[in-house]
Amino acid sequence: MNLPKRIRIKGWQDAVEQMQSYALEDLYAFFLAYESQNSEIPLDLLIQKMEHRLSTMKTSIHNGLKKPNITDSGWINGGAFHMKQFTEKGHSLLGKDFSMMVSKILAVSELNACMGRIVAAPTAGSCGVLPGVLLSVAEKKHYRDHDLVKALFVAGGIGEVISIRASLSGSNHGCQAEVGSASAMTAGALVYLSGGDHEQIESAAAFALKNILGLVCDPVAGRVEIPCIKRNVMGGCNALACAEMSLSGIKTLIPLDEVIDTMATIGDTLPCTLKETSLGGLAVSPSGKKMKLQTKLPRKE
Amino acid sequence: MSLFDVVGPIMIGPSSSHTAGAAKIGLLARNIFHHPLKRVSIVLYNSFADTGPGHGTLQAIVGGLLGFSMEDERIPQSLELAKQQSIAIDFSFLDDPEKHPNYVTILFDKDSASCFSVSGVSVGGGHAKIVEINDNKVEFSGRHDLLILQYRDICGMVALVGKLLARHHVNIAYMQISRDAVEEKALAVLKLDAPVPSIVLNELENKPEIYSAVAVPRWKEEEL
Repeated sequence: MNLPKRIRIKGWQDAVEQMQSYALEDLYAFFLAYESQNSEIPLDLLIQKMEHRLSTMKTSIHNGLKKPNITDSGWINGGAFHMKQFTEKGHSLLGKDFSMMVSKILAVSELNACMGRIVAAPTAGSCGVLPGVLLSVAEKKHYRDHDLVKALFVAGGIGEVISIRASLSGSNHGCQAEVGSASAMTAGALVYLSGGDHEQIESAAAFALKNILGLVCDPVAGRVEIPCIKRNVMGGCNALACAEMSLSGIKTLIPLDEVIDTMATIGDTLPCTLKETSLGGLAVSPSGKKMKLQTKLPRKE
Repeated sequence: MSLFDVVGPIMIGPSSSHTAGAAKIGLLARNIFHHPLKRVSIVLYNSFADTGPGHGTLQAIVGGLLGFSMEDERIPQSLELAKQQSIAIDFSFLDDPEKHPNYVTILFDKDSASCFSVSGVSVGGGHAKIVEINDNKVEFSGRHDLLILQYRDICGMVALVGKLLARHHVNIAYMQISRDAVEEKALAVLKLDAPVPSIVLNELENKPEIYSAVAVPRWKEEEL
């Protein structure tokens, strides 16, 4: 079937219906066509572009793990590196795979805080979730890059739907829109990678976002460090659990579109102090305030 | 938005608005100014002033001015690199509720006759726009090839430029003109479907009514 010159979607359900009406094989094929029609860039170039993002994600994990990452504030002091050593010494509570996944998520998030090169997914503040989890599962299950690239298009599609119905920015809707979206994108990508159908992908993404609804954005001293980096780990663990629940056959009773709309409503209701302004939450805890004073910011003229 | 804005951009952290977008403004300003850098004053406003220093905003803007893209790993060292190239850079930090939260003005050769200013805003997700050039309101994000002209505000200039571009089969997608009636100076920003041929640029530069003609290449996000 011929595709229209431009493909517009209103939400997840609409995307699934259009995928079926154009007789496209799966959500990867749909979102690839969506991007190609709207950007007028041929499919093979888009795939190459996503391959480049995948290889950058791998490099970020590598660079984030090779030495302790220390931010200029000193608040982040080698967390990913410590976690890796803890794992290698056999101290994991649940097994090496899980602990290494945590270490990889930390690695990318810490690298971001240290001005390293990362792929925002969907934002820089939430950049650890998708690569940390996806590449851990890929290593364990021996998935090929070819499949991972497809999963990244599905992840991108989930984020696109969230950006259309709500937003992906902490200053608009709080951390639920950043780490929550990253977690939903990752959960959906994992289910796609594991061979799940569009309903299972939807359930995984819906579970992941539901679990993080209401999470505020309250960075200490406005820096993308505390609590952002550990929240990436939370988003990653949540994504893994939600993907497995969905693959086991558990289904969401609230459709993804409604969960996203709920996130927007909650985000709009949140006071500005809890949306990336550092005027509320942990940023104004006694220690948070003290830490803000410690950071060397140039005096305003 | 594009799926590559959701899974992307590839950038130097920690913030798409305060680091990646800031680097983009610096790079656009460099291309618009189009002269070797000697002295640059950078004025950061509002959120850029408040949280910029903790987000690498200063290094990002200077990195852009040195020609680095938002994913260039030299950005963290940009201040030292500028010093090595004998470029004098100073920063100031201001509040102005009238302006966008992430607003920066970059002044080249301030306090000299050839002072040139470019202001930009970072709008999130690594996207940024230039909003002012030498007190002229403009708006572009660098998605098109651009031709920026400063000329004596007389009749027929638009026709002249249009004809010249048409002769070389360059289509104009959009254009903005603003002028200073007192000084009889005008500034035009032309968004084009193709790069400006150098022969056109030479011809424009040779016209006495045209003070400057600068071609700014289309923004390339990253290699692929």
